[in-house]
Amino acid sequence: MSQPELEDEINAAAIEPLLPVEKKLIGWSLGIGIGLLVVLIALNHLVPIKL
Amino acid sequence: MSDLAVKVSEPIALRARLSEDWLAVAIGLLVFGAALVSISGTDLLGWAVTTSVYTDVAQALNPFAKAYAWLGGGGALLATYAALLVVLSAGVATLGADVRKFAIAFTATFAIAYASWIVGSYAYIAAVTPAEQQKFGLTWSLKLTNEGGFIVALVSGLVVANFFPRFAVWLKEAIRPELYIKIAIVILGATVAVTAAGRLNLASSLLLRGAAAIVEAYLIYWAVIYYIARKWFGFSREWSVPLASGISICGVAAAIATGGAIRARPAVPILVSSLVVVFAVVEVLVLPFLAQTFLWQEPLVAGAWIGLAIKTDGAAVAGGGITESLIMAKTAAEGIKYQPGWILATTTTVKIFIDIFIGVWAFILGYIWTNHIDKGPDKAKPSEIWQRFPKFILGFLFVFAVSLWLAIGSTPDIAKALPTAAGEANIFRVIFFILTFFSIGVLSDFRKLWQQGFGKLAAVYFVSLFGFVIWVGLLISWLFFSGFKPPLAS
Repeated sequence: MSQPELEDEINAAAIEPLLPVEKKLIGWSLGIGIGLLVVLIALNHLVPIKL
Repeated sequence: MSDLAVKVSEPIALRARLSEDWLAVAIGLLVFGAALVSISGTDLLGWAVTTSVYTDVAQALNPFAKAYAWLGGGGALLATYAALLVVLSAGVATLGADVRKFAIAFTATFAIAYASWIVGSYAYIAAVTPAEQQKFGLTWSLKLTNEGGFIVALVSGLVVANFFPRFAVWLKEAIRPELYIKIAIVILGATVAVTAAGRLNLASSLLLRGAAAIVEAYLIYWAVIYYIARKWFGFSREWSVPLASGISICGVAAAIATGGAIRARPAVPILVSSLVVVFAVVEVLVLPFLAQTFLWQEPLVAGAWIGLAIKTDGAAVAGGGITESLIMAKTAAEGIKYQPGWILATTTTVKIFIDIFIGVWAFILGYIWTNHIDKGPDKAKPSEIWQRFPKFILGFLFVFAVSLWLAIGSTPDIAKALPTAAGEANIFRVIFFILTFFSIGVLSDFRKLWQQGFGKLAAVYFVSLFGFVIWVGLLISWLFFSGFKPPLAS
């Protein structure tokens, strides 16, 4: 596939709506990510960097 | 990345990448092993060239070890070039490259890249402290340290890419930034271990905090950027996955790994990768100087931030090196002298933690795609986790573990000799950094950003990077690393 064809494809591609499984992936990733960050921040305070 | 690269098939690209990983491990271990021999009293690498800050260029180059002083600076440079040429030519032959073309292109690449390094060591560019300026009789200098040579190498590469495109194509056999940085990272294991051995508590604390980088890159960055690409810019799933991976995780490797996992057409992740490289160049030229200006009082925050914000191994780790030099120059001018190595070690730790999970994340995406989105007979298999694992990390961990054991678990004589051996290996780490910077520059054709179609890809990158990735990365780095400084140099 040539580069001009890819450029045309980027501009002309039909919109694909978000599927439920994609929404779940985004939601679960963000939820778990923010939850884990909160846990790690708490751990960071409980176990501070040792010099 | 040239148009030719777009036509590379995914299986070939994947095979080449995996072979390149093992090649990087082999060359990195060769350098490390040869440097370790010096502990026994036989110096195998003392001829390697080093560059000092200078006003008289005739005084700039020297062999690393006094035992090889008879070589002179020019002889050391030729010996270093010849050794690299032989080892790398043999290496790329195993990848199926045209060795003759590589040798010719590498000669030109090495010449321009090392000349850039020498230019960067000119006292007016590199001298940092008032004492240094006085030593060279200067009234002013740019205070970039001699690692400003990385920036000069990058700019040289950019000039080649954007003003001499035919020459850039002629050089392409030797333009291998991924290979060069992977070798450098394997070698870096020794320096990181020697640095960590002095402060094991601090080093283990840094490792614990590397976990935050994994969470941020894979679970937060990826999800937000995928959403932006799909919802705001209307990209298809096939484009959005490699784009989100390239921007959020680790540039080229992640785009190719996740693109392959969802069975995207080979050209898609490769095209995304070329954009990642261009943006990484912009970041390397800007972020270290921002870090020096605004984060010089928080060196570890700066190191972590560079690792989280710059999205290719080469640019990130090399950017960590520049950031360390710039911040240490700034603190030295304020009368504070930190032990070298800690900022770069923080950047490297963050980056390696992120890299480790590329295979796992690619498998998760592959499983979802092949079972729930594009259902077909070609299902994702757990063995792909290992296939897509960046093997050069094993080399880094091996060199780190052996060096740490030698530093704290062996005899005092060996522990005492180890820093010199690691320093000898580090010369080659610096040379591979220089080659990486020049190569990244040569791959960065800014005209791509203006080409119709790629502007839309670049817009996703721009919005995500400058609207989100950089600032969240700064916040997370601040939350986990603020208030903690590297140890002071004794």
